[in-house]
Amino acid sequence: MNVPVLSLLLRRFSLRHARLAPRATALLVGILALGVAVFVSIRLANRAAVSSFTHFTDTLTGQSDFIVQAPAGTLPESVLSEMRTALGARPVHIIPVVEATAARAQAPGEAAGFGRTSYTLLGVDLLSLANLASQSKVERSYFNQNQDLGAGSRAAQNPDAGPDAFWRAFNAGPQVWVSAAFAPSVPKSLDLVLDERVRTLTVAGVIPTAREAPRVPPTLLILDLPHLQTLTGKIGRVDRVEFLLEPGPRADERRDELKAILETLGGERWLVTTPGAQRESAETMTRAFRLNLTILSLIALLVGLYLIFQALDGAVVRRRTEIAILRSLGVEERAIQIAWLTEAAVLGIVGGALGVGLGWAGAQVAVRAVGQTVNALYYSSTVDAASLDLSEFALGLVVGLVASLIAGWWPARLAARTPPAQVLPRGVAPAAGGRWQRSFALGAGCVALGVALAQLPPLRLDGAGRFPLAGYAAAFCWIFGGGLMCGWLLPLLARAARGLGHTWAPARVALSHLRRPSGRHRLSVAALHCAVGMAAGMAILVASFELTVRGWIVRSLQADLYIASAGAQSASTDNFVSAAAADRLAAHPAVVAAAKLTALRISLDGIPTMLTGTDLALMRARSEMPWVKPPDDPALWEVTRNAGLALVSEAFSERFRKKAGDVLRVPTPAGVKVLTIAGIYADYGNERGSIMVDRAHLTKWLGDDRVTNVSLWLKPGFEADALREELRREFPGLAIFTNAKLRGEVLRIFRQTFAITYALEVIAVLVAVIGLALTLTSVLLDRREELTTLRALGFTRRELAGAAALEGGVVAGAAVAGGLTLSVALGWLLIYVINKQSFGWTLGFALPWGQLAALAAAVIGTGIAVSYFVGRWGADLPADREE
Amino acid sequence: MRRHRSILCWVVLVAVGGFTRAQIPLTTAEGFAVPQPGKVFSFPRDHGSHPEFKLEWWYVTGHLYAESESKAARRFGFQATFFRQAAPDKSTQLHLAHMAILDVRTGKFFHQERLNRAGWDAAAATETLDVRQGNWSLRLSDPAAPAGTERIELRGGIQAEAALALTLSPAKPLVVFGENSVSRKGSAPTAASYYLTFSRLRAEGELTLGAEKLAVRGEAWMDHEISSSQLDTNQVGWDWVSIQFTDGRELMVYQLRTRGGGTDPASTLTWVDAAGQPVKQKFSWEVLDTWKSPATGAVYPVRVAIATTDPASGAAVRYTLEPLAREQELAGSVGGIAYWEGACRVRDAAGREVGSAYMELTGYAAELKL
Repeated sequence: MNVPVLSLLLRRFSLRHARLAPRATALLVGILALGVAVFVSIRLANRAAVSSFTHFTDTLTGQSDFIVQAPAGTLPESVLSEMRTALGARPVHIIPVVEATAARAQAPGEAAGFGRTSYTLLGVDLLSLANLASQSKVERSYFNQNQDLGAGSRAAQNPDAGPDAFWRAFNAGPQVWVSAAFAPSVPKSLDLVLDERVRTLTVAGVIPTAREAPRVPPTLLILDLPHLQTLTGKIGRVDRVEFLLEPGPRADERRDELKAILETLGGERWLVTTPGAQRESAETMTRAFRLNLTILSLIALLVGLYLIFQALDGAVVRRRTEIAILRSLGVEERAIQIAWLTEAAVLGIVGGALGVGLGWAGAQVAVRAVGQTVNALYYSSTVDAASLDLSEFALGLVVGLVASLIAGWWPARLAARTPPAQVLPRGVAPAAGGRWQRSFALGAGCVALGVALAQLPPLRLDGAGRFPLAGYAAAFCWIFGGGLMCGWLLPLLARAARGLGHTWAPARVALSHLRRPSGRHRLSVAALHCAVGMAAGMAILVASFELTVRGWIVRSLQADLYIASAGAQSASTDNFVSAAAADRLAAHPAVVAAAKLTALRISLDGIPTMLTGTDLALMRARSEMPWVKPPDDPALWEVTRNAGLALVSEAFSERFRKKAGDVLRVPTPAGVKVLTIAGIYADYGNERGSIMVDRAHLTKWLGDDRVTNVSLWLKPGFEADALREELRREFPGLAIFTNAKLRGEVLRIFRQTFAITYALEVIAVLVAVIGLALTLTSVLLDRREELTTLRALGFTRRELAGAAALEGGVVAGAAVAGGLTLSVALGWLLIYVINKQSFGWTLGFALPWGQLAALAAAVIGTGIAVSYFVGRWGADLPADREE
Repeated sequence: MRRHRSILCWVVLVAVGGFTRAQIPLTTAEGFAVPQPGKVFSFPRDHGSHPEFKLEWWYVTGHLYAESESKAARRFGFQATFFRQAAPDKSTQLHLAHMAILDVRTGKFFHQERLNRAGWDAAAATETLDVRQGNWSLRLSDPAAPAGTERIELRGGIQAEAALALTLSPAKPLVVFGENSVSRKGSAPTAASYYLTFSRLRAEGELTLGAEKLAVRGEAWMDHEISSSQLDTNQVGWDWVSIQFTDGRELMVYQLRTRGGGTDPASTLTWVDAAGQPVKQKFSWEVLDTWKSPATGAVYPVRVAIATTDPASGAAVRYTLEPLAREQELAGSVGGIAYWEGACRVRDAAGREVGSAYMELTGYAAELKL
């Protein structure tokens, strides 16, 4: 390889063209950047959402070695002495923790609803916290911060830092320490809803941390353990116990020993895990969700790939003469190929770098959407910003580079194979792409392969996660095969529009091109078809989902009022209504029936799920259960006979691979209960799945009568809205929804979880429309001589623009026709394969006609408009100027 | 007449009683118990905790020698302290504990402090000696064992870097310091304590340093002090020394320093003779050398000379205390009280090594309020 020749080629050939057509180059870079940006932003947002699963205690104590938790409910404090005795003289810190969630209290006049700031309240013994070695780096103490919020002071030099300051703080009653993120305007107090009560908690100060410690999330509040136990009614109980080995030699050996002691001591009473395992389980929980998003994010890149291929291919054709001259001057094939690939690589790197920047910006928006979904479906996340590191930056560059090299490979080969000038036939452009591009059979084959793939089961991930790999492969086959096949729509449409040519000359010009579509036309149709297909497919999924959920809530939400703690803001919070308050609600003179539901987060075989209890007989009488597999044992409806029976949700059945008749060993605070699955119901509110038993039994197992929510049916003649107002005045800490309001809220949250998916699809369509403009531009550039001839024959600019508009319109039309067909297939695949396999929800099928029509009209309309302007520009193109 | 005399007696008794009560109130202003003269101790109960008093501590210091094949035994100093302090409202207790080990050969000083509220991880039994804090504990292995045959188990360590497991058994009877059961700490009537001491305990057990496990033997000193006020308002801190002489006697001295550099008259030097009887003597205290702590900036008089009279011979004696290492400060990172507590070598005026000591220097980093 001759290096000087290559550098000359790059400078005088590639670079010159880039300089001559800066806008086209910029557009290409832009498209690539957009593709990379979408990928990067979803990746960053995903990563941030996952890393936001903070094991909150870490920010205080450093990472603990083990966490001990009851498989269901809390642990009695008596286990602490038991553990200490079992550990003897082994140097281990035992840290009991109570964790609770609370929402910011509703401001006067603020509408009820979800989405208010939700805080995590962590109760640890603030006095003994100072005993941890990690605390020696902390610059101030928890106590006596009143004088200097904001400025640090060393505890040891402060005469007030001793026990007296602690007693003053402790005797002042429940106080919270807040994140330094509040500084400098640390509030004096916070109004929080804890269970059904509104509490005003004094802010005692800022959570002291070592300088290099992880940032304390702004939603974390720290309380002294006994204070939080009192506030949450967990007196004498702890949610978990954390263990920290004292620093020193033989740590691994000591850790193993500690684990063995804890496991032996605990038996079935508790589970021993590590923060790492908990983080992993959170990652596993959201893996399917994140993979789905990543796949979707790649679509914009895929569409972008089509376009880059097309643009480079067009450039090869346009510079054909030049390449031929170079060839006749003796430049090797290889040199030309490398020069083209280098050009593609430079585009890739520049586009990639830009894309990473853009992607980072996009991630700041995407991260909220991802975070909200994670919050709604999985666990409490605290993410508010996505950060970019060097490895992500490099990945963005690599993705851009690889994409552009893949897209540039074929054009580079084509360029290299250009014959020398002496044998180059003038005026005949070679076909863009390969022969395979015109193969209908290949397309049909791909579609058939897709059909076969769609029948395969999902890939099982550890931790009960499932990933529909075959489903996605089927989708890819259909997108690819459909793309090949819908190129054949162009001549069909051209023939159908023949009539137009009789009355309007420009139409004849346009249709003549479409009857024998070029590779570029086919590519453009394929790209647009892919984008339209995916966007419409997603619209079908969402519509089907919405239809199903609507049906589900109409059937299952039949009470007049729904009441829960206003502290409960998502699936991951546990705030209860006290038994006394629930009884008062049920006893209201306007109430004819009240259904109490208690839900408890449990860990079944180490996998998180829910155990719920409700009055099954009342539920059967008052609402319609959405059955997947109705129970046939009538004993289920009688409290005296249903102690060993349970219902499970469809998602549970899918996740744990359990069917009706199977036996579950369910951990409860009263030990393991053996339950037989009597039936399976649909539940679209909970991806983790749930087990439902009669509340009479659950209450006994729990040892208390707390309620997660209460549904009230009113006597005739009572107004739900009026009662709601009355109850809200009486219970300011309760969130009270009328039936209509709750349905609205459920649907709002539901739509919110799809917001990000929509955004991704819109970007793909946008990229595809830009692609259409690019196609027409390069097509018109190819036809420069023809255009000059047509102008000479008397065609006006407007007529030529009209011809281009028709051409673009037909291309868009073909893409829409193919895309909508694809979307129905993808919609089916998403609903019956991908969604069912990932989340275990059976959905009905609905076609959102209005949305699909709007999408079609928008794509065709934009296609026509864009083509018209490209045509106007093309009409003025001089015959002999470069590009 | 007899009757008159008896009435007179009664009047005198009431007057004296009233006077005594005015001198030593039953409780402090906060309502905590005050040590009363004539207190009769009963054991093992009085080895245990006295929560009606505000302050209490169990203080073990000692010198250990590793049994090794080489001739020069490896020497260590250790300190294990368990403090109890009642909440101002007496609702509960705080427990503070300090543990320190000095490796004399390397000069490495391991130490750790802990603060907990009373509960599952920190407690002091009231019926016998059984104080615990995390994995540290000090307890009588058999509370029913008669005096002189007690076995005290000490378990502790410094993080996971060093660990102590010692059995302590009295080589001499328990000493009650002070007059008529009360050890005075100042002119205020409440500034006093019950001060119980095992002035010589045989120590035997295991010392773990890193990966090294050493069988050790040596001698220890254990104080148990119960009070509701240790310092007068004009006092800023104290210096305390316990010496175990090679001749089988001990010496304990505390010097209460007042604001302005003086010494409180309540400062006391007591000899414990070979039979365990305490004998008070006058003393003088001379600072020979100081050390400035890099952690707290406090300047400690780590080398001192104590001049007093030997009650056995009546001769004037002068002992020099030399720290086995200068860096033996507990910086108060947890409890907020910084002090120096160090193992020392004791030499007589002729420069002969005549014993081992532990010296405690408080109130140098900041004024002490106890």
